[in-house]
Amino acid sequence: MRIVCPFCGERELGEFTYLGDAKPVRPAAGASEDEVFDYVYLRDNVAGETSEYWYHGGGCRTWLKIARNTLTHEISSVEPAAGAGAAKVGA
Amino acid sequence: MAEFSWVSRSPLEHALAPGAHGARGVEAGVSLTEIRNFDLIQVMARRGKAAELARVANGRFGVATPNAPTVVQAQDATLIWSGPDQFFVLSKGGKHTMDTLAPALSGPASLSDQSHARALVRISGARARTMLAKLSSIDLHPSAFPIGAAAATSIDHTSVTLWRGGDRPDGQAVFNLLVFSTFAGSLWHTMLDAAAEYGVTIAHSEELA
Ligand SMILES: [Zn+2]
Repeated sequence: MRIVCPFCGERELGEFTYLGDAKPVRPAAGASEDEVFDYVYLRDNVAGETSEYWYHGGGCRTWLKIARNTLTHEISSVEPAAGAGAAKVGA
Repeated sequence: MAEFSWVSRSPLEHALAPGAHGARGVEAGVSLTEIRNFDLIQVMARRGKAAELARVANGRFGVATPNAPTVVQAQDATLIWSGPDQFFVLSKGGKHTMDTLAPALSGPASLSDQSHARALVRISGARARTMLAKLSSIDLHPSAFPIGAAAATSIDHTSVTLWRGGDRPDGQAVFNLLVFSTFAGSLWHTMLDAAAEYGVTIAHSEELA
């Protein structure tokens, strides 16, 4: 598998580290215990399109948000995660 | 109270043995030269200050700073892309140090001195690209990695900054590699192993170019 880093270009998988699901959103303060439990522990095991965080630690050390199909490993989009690289996301 | 004195030494001081290595009886295909005693400052834009840094650094160096994986040659420094909104300033002779750069750039950027945190190796020769192809997964063909191209990448699971300098007078390509000091010995041996079959000329130099 290869990932096209928006800053570095196409690179081998070995330069990247997988963090996990990019979908969970931190619940607001005062959220119920169930909501927090869900956010911290519960993950969907999706067969198909997923949204994930990856880290280009062996390259430009930028966090990326990647849309990947777990059935085919096809990557349909790669974008810098929030705050990564002002040049691309204006943060 | 104990007296201390700091003596800076190359991280390759023990590993590097000047002279010939590997295949004999052939013209050496790979030349490995460690460059010693350089000034290396990493400049990283503070959040929201990338444009301001680019403007201020342009005024300081007289050239536009790299905003893609490239190197930019200023009059007395080489600016090397090291990631989004960040670059290295490589120079010699104390022209660009923390003392001289911080007053100019520390508003829009954080600076850190990497002068003794990296080893710098210059790789050239007729088989340099072939040797590097054993170790690197990026495309170093002249059409994909021309003079001035740079990459933040990994070689032998070690983070490196790799860039192509100007060709040698004999037309051979020159690759420059910055590696963390503590990994320099390991990567050096890996490169020697990869290059041995082509014959290697080993040296060290104080000259950047
Ligand atoms: Zn990258």
